[in-house]
Amino acid sequence: MAQQTGDGMTQGPALALALRAPRSRAIKYGLSVAAAVFLLVWPLFVHDRFLYHMAITLLLAAIGASSLHLIIRTGHVSLCHAAFLGVGAYICVNLVMRLKLPFAVGILAGAGGAALLALAIGPIILRLTGKYFVLVTFLFGEIVRMVFVDWQSLTGGANGILEIPPPSPFFADPQHYYYLALALSALCVGLCARILTSEIGRAIDSIREGEQLAECAGVPVIRIKVMVFVIACGLVGFEGGVQAHYSHYVSPQAYSITESLNFIIINVIGGMTSLVGPLLGTGFIVITPELLRGYVELQQIIFGAILILVMAFLPGGLAGLGGRVQWLMGRARGAMRP
Amino acid sequence: MLSLLSNPTILGQIVVNGLSLSAIYVLVALGFTLLFGIMRVVNFAHGEFVMLGGFALYYLYGMLHLPWLLALVLGALAVAVPSLLLEWLVFRWFYQKMFQSMIGLLGLSMVLMFTGLLVWDAYERNIPRAFDFMIKTHGVILPADRLVTIGAALATLGGFYLFMVHTRAGLAMRAAAQDVEIAETQGINTRRIYQLAFFVAILLAALAGGLYGQIYAVSPFMGERPLLVAFVVVILGGMGSIPGAALGGVILGFTESVLGTLYGGSAAAYASFSVVILLLIFRPWGLLGTPE
Amino acid sequence: MHALGKRIAFGALLLALGASQVSAEEVLKIGGIGTLSGGGTAWGLAIKRGAELAIDEVNKAGGLKVAGQTYKIEFIMYDDQYTGQGGKTAAERLVFQDKVKFIIGPIGSNPVLSTIEITTPEKVLVLGDGYTPAILKNEAHAPYNFRFTLTNLEFTPKMVKWVKENLHPKKVGILEPNDAIGQAVAPNLIKAYKEVGIDVWSDFFERGTKEFTPLLTRMIASDVDALDLNFNAPGDSGLMLKQAREAGFSGLVYQMGGPSVPENIEIAGKSAEGFISYEMYDFTSPVGKALTEEYDAKYGKGIINSQLPAFYNATKILFEALRRAGTVTDTTKVRDTIEHMDGYDAGVYGPLKWTGMETYGVNHQIDLPFFIVKVQDGKTVPLAEIKP
Repeated sequence: MAQQTGDGMTQGPALALALRAPRSRAIKYGLSVAAAVFLLVWPLFVHDRFLYHMAITLLLAAIGASSLHLIIRTGHVSLCHAAFLGVGAYICVNLVMRLKLPFAVGILAGAGGAALLALAIGPIILRLTGKYFVLVTFLFGEIVRMVFVDWQSLTGGANGILEIPPPSPFFADPQHYYYLALALSALCVGLCARILTSEIGRAIDSIREGEQLAECAGVPVIRIKVMVFVIACGLVGFEGGVQAHYSHYVSPQAYSITESLNFIIINVIGGMTSLVGPLLGTGFIVITPELLRGYVELQQIIFGAILILVMAFLPGGLAGLGGRVQWLMGRARGAMRP
Repeated sequence: MLSLLSNPTILGQIVVNGLSLSAIYVLVALGFTLLFGIMRVVNFAHGEFVMLGGFALYYLYGMLHLPWLLALVLGALAVAVPSLLLEWLVFRWFYQKMFQSMIGLLGLSMVLMFTGLLVWDAYERNIPRAFDFMIKTHGVILPADRLVTIGAALATLGGFYLFMVHTRAGLAMRAAAQDVEIAETQGINTRRIYQLAFFVAILLAALAGGLYGQIYAVSPFMGERPLLVAFVVVILGGMGSIPGAALGGVILGFTESVLGTLYGGSAAAYASFSVVILLLIFRPWGLLGTPE
Repeated sequence: MHALGKRIAFGALLLALGASQVSAEEVLKIGGIGTLSGGGTAWGLAIKRGAELAIDEVNKAGGLKVAGQTYKIEFIMYDDQYTGQGGKTAAERLVFQDKVKFIIGPIGSNPVLSTIEITTPEKVLVLGDGYTPAILKNEAHAPYNFRFTLTNLEFTPKMVKWVKENLHPKKVGILEPNDAIGQAVAPNLIKAYKEVGIDVWSDFFERGTKEFTPLLTRMIASDVDALDLNFNAPGDSGLMLKQAREAGFSGLVYQMGGPSVPENIEIAGKSAEGFISYEMYDFTSPVGKALTEEYDAKYGKGIINSQLPAFYNATKILFEALRRAGTVTDTTKVRDTIEHMDGYDAGVYGPLKWTGMETYGVNHQIDLPFFIVKVQDGKTVPLAEIKP
């Protein structure tokens, strides 16, 4: 938080101290509780089905975004996250529709299948650094998508699988599905948070900041990277199954590079240093296009311009907005001093 | 299927197809790798500059009927010069910031593509052939314009090589690509170098766009495939390596041509991807990149 | 007397006010879903512009008169990005936020399938396209959606017959994109050819490829004497035609699908000479010319996508159905009206005819005439009209 204006020098550390003060921690805690209550209660007062749809989409996407965040924290950017989303979805749908297994078994099996695939390729590709990992995952994602399209007997090919039933007649109602999505999403995001704040989380950060150093310090680098990768892919596979039974329809298009790129965009725009980032980013990416729909022809142009502006002026992402605002306020306060 | 190779006509066509594919891929990849090598920017909008180059040739040659070579060069300049404004407005915020550049330039790509859609509508347009005849030798039929494309690409590559190796500006650019901070301490004006590198990269992309648009077709969406190809070629050749981009382009073009002819579309796609993945696993810095 | 006069005047005034209240304009919202970004934009624009032309006509004439009420039509169209997810979101928004009851479009199997998952339970009428049979052939028997364009199941048998009788190829080559349309259509197409005794060479390519020469070279080496561009997208078809000629293919090139005749002429230039194609619409007919004029006036001169007349037609039929049913809210009644509107001529394609019971189990497939055209000296010349 080093500042550049004269008085900003004294502001920075003071601000940091202020943040750690009990009062602001209490504010943060209070905000979290308020948010949780709001999430639980608003569907009881607002009966707008489209809003339920948006909320469910947001909650489910948050699982994918948060799990990708885990991978990013280890220093790797995966461009095949949506492929694992698809693996989970197709496994779940096939088990539920063909073998008539219950929904819970389906989504867990989907997560398991995705995790297994991650386990198979993880140890090999996680040895690659930065940009090479990105590019291998990009190609892997494309191969998986092509397999989805070609393996028609299992996936319905490019036309996909139709008329997927809801988990049970009770959940056919979007309002009820919302609560299911809320619960499952909270579980998954909570798991990500737990991992990041644990011993493993510290190991992850040390790996990202200096792999060789961490290795020397005794951190089992490749083992942790693989573990995180497997968990993250398992989580997004879990999302796949849940999402499939909400959309009632799956097709390979939903699991292409565009979707993987979406998860990345969410993380970069939201901020890559803390879990708050992908959550903010998911909100932004899911809601903004809907706000722009009225502009029809200009929609994409405006959205592109917004992306440019956010990335140019908030390189740390939306999560850094708070810090930016404080910094700007610090400058203003400094400028006003006699 | 391998028996097809013994047929001289087929063999000849595989070679020509491969070369013309490679020529285009190399041109597009060169600009892309230049931007990454020097400014560490992942230009997701690169395809759109290719697209603009296509439209430039469409207007200068297809509509105004200027002489072909003049239209090609003028068209590329017509795209590269105004793009310097974009460099000032957009690109310079993202230098040396890989992730931010990815998303920011993705945004730029959307702005350019959909503005193009507003201006030019969705349907594909044709640029008339500059050289409309076919060359028939030894049973091999070659469209003349493909050969010209290969020639133009080789000429451009040659010119680019001369520029990079035998001019002070080129030397400065190579120094900046190796280490920006040290280059600065040696007195190189980083800002000027970045602008020059940007200009050259866009010029190459727009030139490639003209040639590409003439062989295939021009539309606001035509840049998507060249971007994808540039990405893969650059991986293959090693990010930031110029000879690597050239080699990568040639290999990809030939692989597609050979496998596509012998085994069909899907097989070619699976094979090329698998080859690249294997390459990355065992030699991640690409064919000609340097290990980090 | 005076008082009575006053009362009569007052009463007349009230009546006049009341009457003008009844015929005062209300707004009727019609929804549209189509691809407005990416490769499928030409089709999305065809839906948008086809619907808009029909809506403009009605609005300019004072509005749509249904059961004594006049409605100004408002068109709300959303992008589906040619994906199932996009179609679903667009449908959700139209149905639950904008509360529309009638949707024009989408095109494309994936968006249509996910749209009808939403609209069917809500009894929202969907007048769309999409090639996969599952759109009409499903458990619910497609109660609230109709298909307003022909699919391969409708015109392929007839056209294959025409090809056999008039062009006599022995072996036909086809290149299919490895996507939803390609996978749904290719098996049927190959079967249709084999049934009339024509041999087939086929291969798939990944969507996005622009370089077909390697595949075409392979095809030529297989002694094919005709190339069928079948269901390829306009850009791809044009390139295939051009590249086939450049690769040295001298056999017949025709298209049993698409259609994309003006696009193919534009892209292939001289190579398009002699090209024969299925065509959905005759733009040279008096009606076609009038439509072209309307289009040019509003959108400027340019290539008109062949899908446009189908959606122009669909919108006009919808309006007539609303008039006849006398309601803009009872969609079941409107649906029943549409089902029984055989013989109605919207002035686009001739008398309406529904078909499909045998193939899909429900008569929600439109049966249209189609044309076979040939390119001569850069112009399109009609060869035959195949009536329903």
